[in-house]
Amino acid sequence: MKFYVCIKQVPDVNAPLQIKDGELIQDSDRNIMNAYDASALEEAIVMKEAHGGEIEAVLIGPEKARETIRKALAMGADSGTLIQTDENTDFDSLGYASLLAAFFRDKEYDYILCGKQSQDTDAGLTGSMLAELLGLPYVTNAVGITVQNEKLMVKRQGDTGQEIIETSSPALITCSNDMNDPRIPSLKGIMQSKRKPVDTIPASELSAAEMSEPKTRVHGFSEKPAREPGKKFEGEPAEIAAQVAQLLDSAENVI
Amino acid sequence: MSTLLTYISIQDGKVKRSSLETLARCNELAEQSGRKSAALVISDQAGKSAELLAGCGADVIYTMEHPIFKNHLNTPLLRALSAAMDVVKPDLLAFASTEGSKDLLGALAANRGAAALADVSEFELTDDGVSAKRPVMASKIIASVQAKGWPVLVSVRSGSYDTATGTTDPGIEEIPFAFEEADLRITLKEILSATGDKIDLSEAETVIAAGRGVKDEEGRKLIEELADVLHAGVGASRALTEAGAYDASLQIGQTGKVISPQLYIGVGISGAIQHVAGMTNSKVIVAINKDPDAPIFEIADYGLVGDLYKILPPFIEELKKIKG
Ligand SMILES: Cc1cc2nc3c(=O)[nH]c(=O)nc-3n(C[C@H](O)[C@H](O)[C@H](O)COP(=O)(O)OP(=O)(O)OC[C@H]3O[C@@H](n4cnc5c(N)ncnc54)[C@H](O)[C@@H]3O)c2cc1C
Ligand SMILES: Nc1ncnc2c1ncn2[C@@H]1O[C@H](COP(=O)(O)O)[C@@H](O)[C@H]1O
Repeated sequence: MKFYVCIKQVPDVNAPLQIKDGELIQDSDRNIMNAYDASALEEAIVMKEAHGGEIEAVLIGPEKARETIRKALAMGADSGTLIQTDENTDFDSLGYASLLAAFFRDKEYDYILCGKQSQDTDAGLTGSMLAELLGLPYVTNAVGITVQNEKLMVKRQGDTGQEIIETSSPALITCSNDMNDPRIPSLKGIMQSKRKPVDTIPASELSAAEMSEPKTRVHGFSEKPAREPGKKFEGEPAEIAAQVAQLLDSAENVI
Repeated sequence: MSTLLTYISIQDGKVKRSSLETLARCNELAEQSGRKSAALVISDQAGKSAELLAGCGADVIYTMEHPIFKNHLNTPLLRALSAAMDVVKPDLLAFASTEGSKDLLGALAANRGAAALADVSEFELTDDGVSAKRPVMASKIIASVQAKGWPVLVSVRSGSYDTATGTTDPGIEEIPFAFEEADLRITLKEILSATGDKIDLSEAETVIAAGRGVKDEEGRKLIEELADVLHAGVGASRALTEAGAYDASLQIGQTGKVISPQLYIGVGISGAIQHVAGMTNSKVIVAINKDPDAPIFEIADYGLVGDLYKILPPFIEELKKIKG
């Protein structure tokens, strides 16, 4: 089976950040592989280990995002493609999906795996947009995948329960990080990754036919309004428990 | 007159509260902008379900009924939504942000060439589109976003608006829909339903959330008792859903559910930003944690510092007294 995994480099949301004149400023330049994509890749690697196949990681981003492709190769992807953009270009989900669609147009594959959302923007749109642009059936929010006769049984987390969905190739699946714990590259993996091929395609080469004016735009950032500072209760457990229970009743009226 | 259309999610025979919140906002915007507000019900019993919307304040309810809609399946739902957009030609199609709508939004936007704004906490009409606020960076930051050109698709976080009320009885219009099973490109094999008769977290007035500090059966029993006294829904942090102690559909946070209860009580939860992303909209936040420096205390209105196994029993007793 041939798997493609779409991976994105995102700023580390745990790193300190500030807002200056409506612009978002990261204090450090800490970038990581989107956690949901790491889970998608891990799942592809597990399937390959059990059933054979090939995994290619695809990333749209600037030169510095190449390190995230390296990480994917060190984890176990066989090859990678960097669809290279300028340092400061930022697309909306439809922009990324259109570029990816242009890339996949002449490719052959069994399954495309994406993350269910970007960890920094939580949009959750690119995967199903790409599926629609390529005319592929898709399943979102996968929390488990098993292979049966080249078909995938995908467990998807729905609103109230889980749905088991069977898909045959070709199809697209978006993955939750509730699926697995992505492996940390081994030293051997890191050494091997240096010999694995990475193709570089300028985004402009793909974009001409596919891209239109972006339909959505971010035009500023602001701090989340802070909550009123609360009160901490320390001391004898029974006492503070009773005190807070009373306050929830008399002061807050929420019980 | 152009239309603002709200997709209504129905779960276990009830209209989801978050759908009524979204509809309320659309009613308001329709009124302000001289548009019509319409609700869209797609279900295997759409006619019956539409009756649940009497007095919802919309001008008209569109229904699409077909047995295929008994379970969530994206292929027929996409086709139905696209057909509804052909008929209604809305300026805006709004969804409550649920796993169901997250499954559809991107594909529908690509299919219709429409702009999509996912998971917004506020939205507004402009002359040529929609402006909105959406939490980003694990909800630490609010982004102002804009969509240009009609139609626009939005999905709205639960708890962002009050629910809809009205007095008028909207008319019901059925939109015909045909679908062949053979067109299904994926097959639903089985549904593992976990929640059963439990309280729906995204709608609960009170939520008790258990974290890694809840270590064992005894701890889970205390959580259950506390939930019983307060008629609360029970949720969990990822630490516990990952460990299998609680079902994955009960996870609260960035990967899990966004909740907006009147009262949230976090028990043995550290308050990682990815968890907090799902619960900062709670009106009153109570945290029980033995580590006085746990980040959850930075957002808690009432922070109880101590061992949950020592605090919960007297807390439950006191609540019983108050309730009794
Ligand atoms: C992309 C991404 C998405 C994520 N999405 C989610 C999500 O949706 N939801 C989510 O919850 N997490 C999510 N996480 C994980 C998150 O970062 C944290 O790891 C997780 O929330 C920690 O759970 P916890 O607070 O229960 O455990 P811990 O962080 O281990 O905290 C346990 C707490 O319990 C306290 N404690 C221990 N024993 C006791 C006791 N006897 N009495 C009182 N207190 C005690 C400790 O002091 C500690 O503060 C996500 C992470 C990533 C990277
Ligand atoms: N720049 C990118 N390069 C590769 N894949 C991407 C890129 N942006 C988004 N994706 C894929 O789309 C998913 C997220 O979509 P969204 O939340 O809409 O940004 C990610 O988990 C990736 O699988």
